[in-house]
Amino acid sequence: MKRLASISVLLMLKARAFAVARFPKPDFHSGYQYPDIVHTVPNETFWSWMDLGILTLMLLAAVWAVHRAKSRRIILGISLVSVLYFGFYRSGCVCSLGSIQNVALAIADPGYHLPLVVLLLFLLPLAFALFAGRVFCAGVCPIGALQELVNVRNFRISRPVTVALGVIPWIYLAFAILYAATRSQFIICRFDPFIGIFRMGGDIGMIVFGVLLLLLAVFVGRPFCQFLCPYGALLGLFSRFSARKVEITSPECINCSLCHHACPVDAIRPPSRSSREEAAGKGIKRVLLYLCVLPLLTVGGALLLDSQHDSLSLANKQVRLLHLLQTQEETATLQMAPEVEAFHEMGGDVQVLEEQVGHIRQQFHLWSLLAGGLIGFSVGCRLLRLSVKRTRKTYEIDPVACVACGKCWSYCPQNKSR
Amino acid sequence: MKKQAKQPKGPTSRRDFFKTCGTIIAGSGLLAVGGYLAPRSSATEGDSMWQIDPELCLQCGRCQTECVMPVSAVKCFHANQVCGYCDLCGGYYRANVKELNTAAENMLCPTGAITRKYVEDPYFEYTIDEDLCNGCGKCVKGCSSFGNGSLFLQIQQEICLNCNECQIAKVCVSGAIQRVPVSKAYRLKDKA
Repeated sequence: MKRLASISVLLMLKARAFAVARFPKPDFHSGYQYPDIVHTVPNETFWSWMDLGILTLMLLAAVWAVHRAKSRRIILGISLVSVLYFGFYRSGCVCSLGSIQNVALAIADPGYHLPLVVLLLFLLPLAFALFAGRVFCAGVCPIGALQELVNVRNFRISRPVTVALGVIPWIYLAFAILYAATRSQFIICRFDPFIGIFRMGGDIGMIVFGVLLLLLAVFVGRPFCQFLCPYGALLGLFSRFSARKVEITSPECINCSLCHHACPVDAIRPPSRSSREEAAGKGIKRVLLYLCVLPLLTVGGALLLDSQHDSLSLANKQVRLLHLLQTQEETATLQMAPEVEAFHEMGGDVQVLEEQVGHIRQQFHLWSLLAGGLIGFSVGCRLLRLSVKRTRKTYEIDPVACVACGKCWSYCPQNKSR
Repeated sequence: MKKQAKQPKGPTSRRDFFKTCGTIIAGSGLLAVGGYLAPRSSATEGDSMWQIDPELCLQCGRCQTECVMPVSAVKCFHANQVCGYCDLCGGYYRANVKELNTAAENMLCPTGAITRKYVEDPYFEYTIDEDLCNGCGKCVKGCSSFGNGSLFLQIQQEICLNCNECQIAKVCVSGAIQRVPVSKAYRLKDKA
């Protein structure tokens, strides 16, 4: 009983987990051999290069399906492979969406080691977008592919709503860069909607969100790709300048509007003659106005987000720890947060922490300026784009929004007659 | 008449010019990011595995709850070379047990993952059943408070999904979870 009492006393002393030789190494007489436990390390290098290789192959296949074969069936095949391999088999990590954050962190912090595979994962789909449009979205990305596979009907959301919601990916991107560059959080990974479904487990809130988003995707084409995906925003930007655009039909368009109604992401613009109806010079004046508004919005966004950089910095672990320490002192409660307890236990120095936090706040200062500027700039560009009215004689694909899903091809009567 | 002749040429060529400019800017942007980051990323051995530094771990219990796996990929490891093979094991028995026997109510491990085998008087060999272990770290706390600290938490790489951002590392109170190169995977206590 005495020995047992000593256990409880010692347990309360909260010794650190150092290997302290309290008891001597046993001296075996029975010829006992220490078990030899071997821990196997999975070949992560092999698998990451394998992923990259398969990604490249699938991108090439998607380019072929979109630009040569013009077959939605092949794209659906690629989608299925992507969902099964990248989604369920490889469980998602690391993906091109998430790699934005690694790249942002690597640019912000030269000490951060960015694996080459992750860099290539970031660059490859963008390079493909520059040459062939958003073929990555078509079926290679498991998130897009899953939504594509469940989509049954397209209830068209009104155009102004689509345009307004289209700002969200840029805001998401700006915050993702802000939090990644300051080593605070990887929010794209945190709020990945389908990772819980692919892994059949995880944060219950995110799984519920993912399931709801999937249910929405049954009736609205690709809600995540359209209104949330930060990588899609980048891909759209690169796709705008792509060398080869996705085309509905090579022969003459007969303006039947079937493709327009089939498009799940509202990327097909109807013919319009709007510029002719306006008074001369009015359009130019509007463009000039928005050109002036653009820098104002950029600076305004930057200053607005920067004014919040102190509260934004609370997302960082160190800043939160200092905050906890300070509230602990103020309220002087006995109940300590585990973080505070650990800090004291490890003999942490508050002054050193304060210095660190000061440095982190400086980083937040810089990066919230940049992120706010990005948000303002993207909103300004959106307004500018809306103010430019083009004359279209036929139905045309907007390369920024088009995810190359290939639905329009099967609806086009001209394609059928080929 | 002059205007009509110019119109089809003017806007299209201007638009093409803008597009070409955009393509060049976007392409060079990609090359710049790639060129800036590629030399750095291939220079050193990559930190790719999430690992717990057993020297820093404080057994707060978050490994059990925060991992994205249904049952945490963090498991209790046992360094036999460090173990004292005691009969009265701080990691095996609950504190303040009334009678020292292996009845279930005396066991510290909530999932019964620790088994012991009699070796010779007075030594017992302790083994962790990784399939049962949920990484709660109760035994680790017991062992490091009353014992040699031969039990410790570590990430089992075969289970770990190697998330881009480890959910446990995000909330680890002592910052014990870090990425390490593949060659340094499994920081163990007996094979340091």
